[in-house]
Amino acid sequence: MSWLFKSKQVNLAVLVFFFLVGFVPYFFLMPQVDDAVNKLSLIAATTGQFTVAIAIYSQWRRSLRFIKEKRKGWAYHIYLLALMSGMTFIGFAWGKSHAAYIWLTSAIVTPLSSVAYGILAFYMFSALARAFRARSLKAAFLIVSGCIVLLYQAPLTGAYFPGIESYAVFLTDNFGMSLSRMFSIAIIIGGIILNIRMLTGRELAFLGFAREES
Amino acid sequence: MPKPLFDIRGIPSGRFLGLVLVIMIAVLAIRQMRKKELPFIRRVAAIDAIDDAVGRSTEMGRPVLVSYGIGDFSYSLIAALSILGHVSRICADTDTRLIVPTGGGHTSYLARELAVDIVRTQYVLAGKPEMFREDDMPFLSGEQYSYTAGYVGILVREHPGSVIMTGSHASEAMNIAETANLVGAITITSGTYVSNMAALACASDYIMLMDEQPAAGAYLSKDREQLATIRVQDIYKVLAMTLVVVGLILLNVFGSGFFLDLLST
Repeated sequence: MSWLFKSKQVNLAVLVFFFLVGFVPYFFLMPQVDDAVNKLSLIAATTGQFTVAIAIYSQWRRSLRFIKEKRKGWAYHIYLLALMSGMTFIGFAWGKSHAAYIWLTSAIVTPLSSVAYGILAFYMFSALARAFRARSLKAAFLIVSGCIVLLYQAPLTGAYFPGIESYAVFLTDNFGMSLSRMFSIAIIIGGIILNIRMLTGRELAFLGFAREES
Repeated sequence: MPKPLFDIRGIPSGRFLGLVLVIMIAVLAIRQMRKKELPFIRRVAAIDAIDDAVGRSTEMGRPVLVSYGIGDFSYSLIAALSILGHVSRICADTDTRLIVPTGGGHTSYLARELAVDIVRTQYVLAGKPEMFREDDMPFLSGEQYSYTAGYVGILVREHPGSVIMTGSHASEAMNIAETANLVGAITITSGTYVSNMAALACASDYIMLMDEQPAAGAYLSKDREQLATIRVQDIYKVLAMTLVVVGLILLNVFGSGFFLDLLST
């Protein structure tokens, strides 16, 4: 029976069928198919969530190996496992609205995430410091326009650089907007062509088929 | 207000005709190119650099770190998995350690299973199934910044020779790309979000922009028909640009809203 799941043709047929089921109602008014698609999406999402268990197992196994072999940073894995087990237990036993669960989220998870997010500013500056070296005419343009837009975004800019707003708005609304639309168009076209390749069976790596197999 | 050029009851006519046109052009162009010489495809530095980056890691005796993003199932994840398959095959062939941090999103659990399967398949195909280590594909977290912390930790501890960051990475991409630079890794990234493309371009050694990432699988395959689809991609881009320019001229010079009406059909 395993040949059924390993067969490229069967996998492709399933892919094309579900693609059509999801895609056709976009072009034709078919409320019944719409309902079926919504239910299918819900089933797929629910089934997908069962993989959480595999992810937790993977993390446990890795952390236990770290602790057992006393690898660098092994003590952090004890902390990780303790918190993971605590949150899982509280979540299952009393639900996500329990005070203990809310405390864990608001006192540990959210502040730590916020710190990691805050550090982003320093990374941005270090990247920009490397990139903003005017070694060519293009780089010089980048620096000048970058400075204008950055100054415009900063507080109190109006007080210190009153005339800068019109330049910044011009750069953002013309060059920025047209570039962002050009990027979007190119990305969408790339996505469409990738889908065509998938549906014609040319690119099936995401189904686990390597080139040699196909 | 733009008015549709025509209307067929029960069918969003313009969308349907658009779809038929898109498919027709693609099929005809691919068939035509199959008969002729291999179309010229411009070199994409970021994709060409993938093989060199893995080679660098092999020579330095350091691991290769690849991630496929934290996003939902989309074209970028599929393209990223194609690249992951390619890199894992080279790593298996050259006995280079491959680390794939997984997670980062609430829907990343399923993607992780796919990624594990793809990498395992490549090691089996290379005749080295025993070299595949699932522990090198750790699930870090379903939360974006917990994943980032874990990812950065791996970068600092393992000192990879190259970091290939594909798929859809959001704001955490900067943390990762900059730390990769800090530990001396060659960094190849892909810009999926328009808002972080500029920052990533500053932080990375190579970046795949716009439609380069979706085309990567075809580009790396060197397969004639797949390369033809990249050519079709370019034809569509020229068509889109022509539509925009002609539409602008018609609207602003001649006052005709024909293209607006056509697009609203």
